[in-house]
Amino acid sequence: MSAAPRDHDALREQIALYAIGALPASERSAVESHLRGCAECAAELATLGPVSGALAQIVPQHDPPAALRARILSSIAASDRASARRPTAAWAPWLAAAAMLAVAAGAGLYAAGLRERVRTLQAQLRVALDRVADGERRVAVALRNAADAEAPLAVLVAPDVRRIDLAGQPVAPRASARAFWSRSRGVVLTATNLPALPPGRTYQLWFVTPQAPISIGLVKPDANGSVRRLVDTRGDFPEPVAVAVTIEPDGGAPAPTGDKYLVGAAQ
Amino acid sequence: MWLAVLATIGDASVADADRRALQRTVRGDHDALAEVYDRHARLVYSLALRIVGRQPDAEDVLQEVFTQVWRQASRYDTSRGTVAGWLVMLTRSRALDRLRRERAEVPAADIDWASVDVVDPETAVDLQLVTAEQAARLRLVLEALPEAQRVPLELGYYDGLSQSAIAARLGVPLGTVKTRMRQALLRLRDALAEARP
Repeated sequence: MSAAPRDHDALREQIALYAIGALPASERSAVESHLRGCAECAAELATLGPVSGALAQIVPQHDPPAALRARILSSIAASDRASARRPTAAWAPWLAAAAMLAVAAGAGLYAAGLRERVRTLQAQLRVALDRVADGERRVAVALRNAADAEAPLAVLVAPDVRRIDLAGQPVAPRASARAFWSRSRGVVLTATNLPALPPGRTYQLWFVTPQAPISIGLVKPDANGSVRRLVDTRGDFPEPVAVAVTIEPDGGAPAPTGDKYLVGAAQ
Repeated sequence: MWLAVLATIGDASVADADRRALQRTVRGDHDALAEVYDRHARLVYSLALRIVGRQPDAEDVLQEVFTQVWRQASRYDTSRGTVAGWLVMLTRSRALDRLRRERAEVPAADIDWASVDVVDPETAVDLQLVTAEQAARLRLVLEALPEAQRVPLELGYYDGLSQSAIAARLGVPLGTVKTRMRQALLRLRDALAEARP
């Protein structure tokens, strides 16, 4: 099956961009099907293939910090044991660190496989602890303190968990939050530095979807402005393209009306 | 150290050693993962740093990439390309994701979510490792490209902008962006061919 000449000219122009992975998915399939029938374009792709790899290598070279090696390799080992190898999980790095903290906190669930590595891990853990970002530490502390620690943990170790970072908006520049969303298990929100609420007002959590924002629940920070909240979103909740926290009248609103305090896009 | 390793065992042997290490990684061998890390952490970290710009973010990407290698080694088809090529693809993918998340920190209401059109970095990469000298020469070729060609290529490859976003940012027609990126890539291809012995 050969393409019309006009298609050939247009698609040939795309081959170079295809070769370096610079085409959006929407344009890739046309190129791919053209490539199957056009020897000329396939040959051009073959010559352009190495360029992408070269672009990756001609950037200024830097060695990663030496301490990172042990941190990365040991957190992979720890999360590995913690999860009994879920090959499909897309783990965010903090999660591995959180798993290490959970181990250190005495969640002896994982201890069996770790016995021989415990001493090494403890040393590495001290290094890791120093480096764990505030947010990660908050998650771990929140998990430890949770009256019902298992439910958030179930979300955090879900194979389909995704992390969504929320940034403080102009009304609350110091606020920050993370949402961990698993389609199969629910959503965990941790937030800090939320301003104190005036009387008669509440914070409300939203899943922003291409159609409309959907209320996920009300959020009440503690005296320090911190929040840790688990919401069961199993069932019919659509996938969020973003997560937001707004201020609303007590009891919440059917659609956001107040200022946005925290917003983060799902990747 | 990385360069010395490459220089002594050569490109083809690196690819073979990587393949064997990945097979051991599939079987749960942590030492094999460490071996791949020692050979390629610099490649991953340097590319990540070029894309995300900040050291802590690049460190996160490095961790994400090797965690993903550990989790998904069994799903990587080594006949599709080299392990280093896969690493580059993963690095670009994770780093560009991070960049997009950051860009999205403008108020959600200001983003037209339906129209977000992003490049797909998940094309298989047939990566041939280049020596430091070859890389330096290629870098000069890239830097010597007319700005009109170089900038769109860099925005597309290192910043993950779609061609329409590049066109909008540079204020040139979409067709011009495509043509210039192609010209830049052809120049690099020719330089790459010359740089090889």
